[in-house]
Amino acid sequence: MATDRTDRGAEGENTNGSATAVDDTDGKSESVPHPAFAAYADESVPGATVGAPGKDGRLELRFGVDRDGDTNLVRDLARAPFHVSGTLGHDPHPRGETVYVQSPSEGVAQGDRRSVTVEVGAEAVAHVSTQSSTKVLSMGHNYAESDITLSVGADAHLDYVPAPTILHGDARYHEALTVELAPSATAVVGEVVVPGRLARGERFEFERYLSEFQARSDGDLLAADATHLAPGESDPTAPGVLGEFTVLGTLYVLAPGGERGELSDRLHAVVADEERAGAADDADHGGADDERRNDDTVRAGATALPNDAGVAVRALGHRAETVTGTLHDAWDEARTALLGVGAPDPRRL
Amino acid sequence: MTDEATLESFRLADSFLPVGTDSVSDGLEQFVATDGVTDVDELAALLETYLRRQHGQAGLIALRAAHVATRADDLAGVLDADRRLEATTLAAELRESSTLTGERLLTLQREVREDPFLDRYAEAVDGDETPGNYVVVLGVVTALAGVDAREACLLSCHELATAQLGAAQRLLRLGHTDVQRVLDELRPTMVAAVEDSADRSLAEMTPFAPLVDVLSAEHERADRRLFVS
Repeated sequence: MATDRTDRGAEGENTNGSATAVDDTDGKSESVPHPAFAAYADESVPGATVGAPGKDGRLELRFGVDRDGDTNLVRDLARAPFHVSGTLGHDPHPRGETVYVQSPSEGVAQGDRRSVTVEVGAEAVAHVSTQSSTKVLSMGHNYAESDITLSVGADAHLDYVPAPTILHGDARYHEALTVELAPSATAVVGEVVVPGRLARGERFEFERYLSEFQARSDGDLLAADATHLAPGESDPTAPGVLGEFTVLGTLYVLAPGGERGELSDRLHAVVADEERAGAADDADHGGADDERRNDDTVRAGATALPNDAGVAVRALGHRAETVTGTLHDAWDEARTALLGVGAPDPRRL
Repeated sequence: MTDEATLESFRLADSFLPVGTDSVSDGLEQFVATDGVTDVDELAALLETYLRRQHGQAGLIALRAAHVATRADDLAGVLDADRRLEATTLAAELRESSTLTGERLLTLQREVREDPFLDRYAEAVDGDETPGNYVVVLGVVTALAGVDAREACLLSCHELATAQLGAAQRLLRLGHTDVQRVLDELRPTMVAAVEDSADRSLAEMTPFAPLVDVLSAEHERADRRLFVS
């Protein structure tokens, strides 16, 4: 599919951190920490420097359309630990292109400063995901940060739906994601956070997690959201926060071109159905006994975003798989509404 | 604060104030309808979430910013606070009830007193330049009346709690004494919410109550409901 990846030859294999062909935005790693992380920022990291090679992962992807209207990856730069092995043509959209980002390192460690930039040129249809969950490792010093900037051009579409983020005990993680959309652009951005290695009984043992989301168009802030969990300071399972649930997922369906009340209802119908299925199973098991709570229950809903930015879908569940599944169904429906084709089949991922 | 300002703050904090706060429940109706809140203790715990995780992390920051901007005769600063709060409020119903009650407070205040700054803000709301969120209107109104920012924040917490308790009284058939007890016991929470909001810029708004968002989304589509949110 990628016939005119002109830049790729020069930079595609550049994983060793040489920054010769890179616009210098390295200053970001030196930037002022978010106030919630300021107290960690002065702690030095034993054995390595904050943002040093291997700890300053950078990923830059740019998609454009060729003369036939097909989307191609026209530039990619991946500095360790990021790695891009190539593109996959399995998107149900005939002009679409898919990139899976690999990260061979064990996970996000203290002092890591990662930067991801994805640019989708006019009329391109791109899908960027990760091959496996992002594990945020235990930390005793400093913190880890990822800065993600997505931009989507006129009549273009981006799906940025990475695998879940898993927060190990004592993790401190700040992620800031900004998506800038042309007025005629659309995007789907997904996020699932798992508060520990649930299978081994670890939950809410991390120190701090702050994930900030912003959608902008023409310089205006359309919608902002934040997931801020600091279990030592305030109970994540408080009523109205996560309640009886453990895993939180949000899908932002961004379509600033018009009012999306109908799309909101459509997505709500899809995700609320799943909740009913869970509730029915509950009844089969003899009711809402806490001990026998159905682990497959997902409670989810869709609501129109402010400033006609699109729709947000929130899903709360007990397991990463069920929340991811619910968001995938919403993604599928949203893509059908926006592009006329569904989301890529998760079994092929 | 002057006696005049104190009396104005009493009037604004009174549930008697005809701004429609008796028609909003901010998701509480759906919590009760789906058995998420069944008694007074669960109610108090949910109100703590509203105050600490939402109001102290967003609404009060916008109120303070609007208050400061009004004192500086800076209409643009008020609009920044208003727009930022709007962009940060994900649940559509919560935005609607905020702008509905905001518009009523703005109209009411312009009936009872004349102020050119209030007129200019109202023009911006009428012209769809800015949404007119309740707490932002309250920030403007209290600043103009000489009510200090901290008092205005406490007033806003009290107002939120009494509105929710009023809704709960109807939804859960609570007794008057129970309602007063919860209101009394929430005082440290209100003070903490006001502390949470201090020294925070508009860019640092991080309201986080995802289950409230989900239940609010359910409430949008609920067949039978007493409250608009």
